[in-house]
Amino acid sequence: MGLVNKNEKSGAVARGYRLGKLGFRLVGSYVGYQAQNLLLGEGERAQRRARFQQKASRRVRDELAALKGPAMKLGQLLSMQTEMLPEEALRELANLQMRAPGMHASLARAQFKSSLGKYPEEMFREFDPEPFAAASLGQVHRAVTRDGEKAAVKIQYPAIRSAIENDFKLLRSATLPGQLSGHVPAALLDEIQRGILEETDYLREADNLEFFGKGLSGLEYVAIPRAHRELTTDRVLTMSYIEGETLSDLLKRKPSQAFRDLLGARLIEMYETQIQRLKALHADHHPGNYLFQPNGSVGLIDFGCVKRISFDVSELRRCYRRRTWRESEASARRFLALAYGRSVPYARARKILPLLEQWCDILYPQDVTADLVIDFRGDPRLESKLKEIRQQHRKRVLQDKLINPEFAFLMRADLGLHYLLRELGATINISEVWRRVSTAPAVGRHGCAFRAPPKAVT
Amino acid sequence: MKRKTGRAQARTTRGKRVENKEKTRRAILRAALELFAGKGFYHTTTKAISRKAGIAEGTLFNYFETKEDLALYFFEQELVEVIEWYERDRRVKRAALAEKLFAIIHHFLERLAPYEEFIGAVYLRALAPASKLSPWSLQTQERNLRYLRFIRGILAEAEAAGEFPPVGDFGAYAFGLFHLAIITYWLRDRSRGKEQTLALLDRCLKLGAHVLRKGWDW
Repeated sequence: MGLVNKNEKSGAVARGYRLGKLGFRLVGSYVGYQAQNLLLGEGERAQRRARFQQKASRRVRDELAALKGPAMKLGQLLSMQTEMLPEEALRELANLQMRAPGMHASLARAQFKSSLGKYPEEMFREFDPEPFAAASLGQVHRAVTRDGEKAAVKIQYPAIRSAIENDFKLLRSATLPGQLSGHVPAALLDEIQRGILEETDYLREADNLEFFGKGLSGLEYVAIPRAHRELTTDRVLTMSYIEGETLSDLLKRKPSQAFRDLLGARLIEMYETQIQRLKALHADHHPGNYLFQPNGSVGLIDFGCVKRISFDVSELRRCYRRRTWRESEASARRFLALAYGRSVPYARARKILPLLEQWCDILYPQDVTADLVIDFRGDPRLESKLKEIRQQHRKRVLQDKLINPEFAFLMRADLGLHYLLRELGATINISEVWRRVSTAPAVGRHGCAFRAPPKAVT
Repeated sequence: MKRKTGRAQARTTRGKRVENKEKTRRAILRAALELFAGKGFYHTTTKAISRKAGIAEGTLFNYFETKEDLALYFFEQELVEVIEWYERDRRVKRAALAEKLFAIIHHFLERLAPYEEFIGAVYLRALAPASKLSPWSLQTQERNLRYLRFIRGILAEAEAAGEFPPVGDFGAYAFGLFHLAIITYWLRDRSRGKEQTLALLDRCLKLGAHVLRKGWDW
């Protein structure tokens, strides 16, 4: 079967071996790089750094692709968060999806029965034994319910939860040097583990579908699958089938700029509605999770990875726009606590401010009355300047241990959205979207149309 | 003429007798399995079995001397059923080797599932060298051979199709031992829906197929 990778290494031992190797290599070469830094001049350092990053990104990519399992997502998040890698590698990592080993038809059937007590053909009018898509931790099959409705059935690879728990035990040992030095905070590992374990519970995902379905119902162009509860367990999720094509397929037909701009604005509006109004975010911005239709409707699928947002994003935005840290020490402290967490000492966090100034000068014009319009086709000069600042920012964050676990998932989502908009090549009046979102009638808050997102799995 | 008819008659009578005996045998097994599934292996008495099967308790011993004989017969029947199922299932017959072997063991396990406690009890007994159920006992050899030929046939097909290098009859023996190991694991598997067994079975077969294709270079 095509899904079964011939080179796949099975078993915890092989996975552990690879993971350990990766951890030691990365940490090892990072330490080596820092040690050399002490002895080298500035010019040489830059060269060394570029070489280290290139080598590291190649290693991470190769090793992660071979790992495939939950460990891959973990490495993906870790490397994006610690920002050791250059932009290009990050982009590839953002596009990698966590894949469980493929299941042949007999295993998928067996797992379905193990979870629901009956074989799929006993519960559906039609069921395609061959999967049409890989999903996080499993695969998706087409089906038709007894009522004749088209459905997508997501089946999880058996016993994936215990495999993930094992992987985390191994990862914690493999990254021990990083944890001791404070570059890989244990809180970050906890956050990642929580996020990934949540993804193994499809009942939770069904709750998420319901939550976001109601929460985004104010945006008439959004399509979100509806869960069929009676055909769903924690390891099998049956939901309505969402039609549409992926962004790359859409772009092949060369849509007009106006259409691109429309879709771009819609993507941002969806994103902002989630973080500002729902305080929860679909955090897996893999391009395959967006399905577009010629009429401009946007389907959003795969709600396994959802991030609850505990801080005020619009407040953070206001700080950026008005440069509140300039006003007084108190507001600078407030801002830094908001962005990097309360545990980071002010003296250490303060060092990042000059970089943020540069960043804001490009993204957030001083004139707060003017609209913020971003051309995602990208001005190459601006892009390279942004890239440079990002890289410096990365270095600072790593050196000064400013890693904020709260941001792990949010950053991944942010980056994912950014690449999506770049690929789309849209020009968007961001301020207008923000205004629309902040003035939209509240859904649920007053009408109690939805509950708070379900609690985290521990 | 007359003598010939007499002989033919004797043959039919004997045939009928054999057929009836087989029917009773199955009825006893069915009754026993139902009771095992409900009351458990150890709490089921021979009296209860004979009553449920509608025969005298003494007659029961004519068919099965011990519970071990009952188990032997059970496994024989199961093997016949699995082979027939495999021949009927066109989708599995077309699948790749690893999937075929997965499906065979899984089908076995699905059939054994209602009688887990019974199988567990029998399994322990089979470990004793003097047991009739031991894989080395002569009573089990006929069934073993049928099983080995069945598996060998499937492996030979895959060999002929170039799916992996020829392993000969050894492959069937090795798979047989693997099958026993999986049943042991399955009996001890306390995960929900026995999903750990599914994962182990899948991973082992994929690894096995990989090793056979590429050698130990992994």
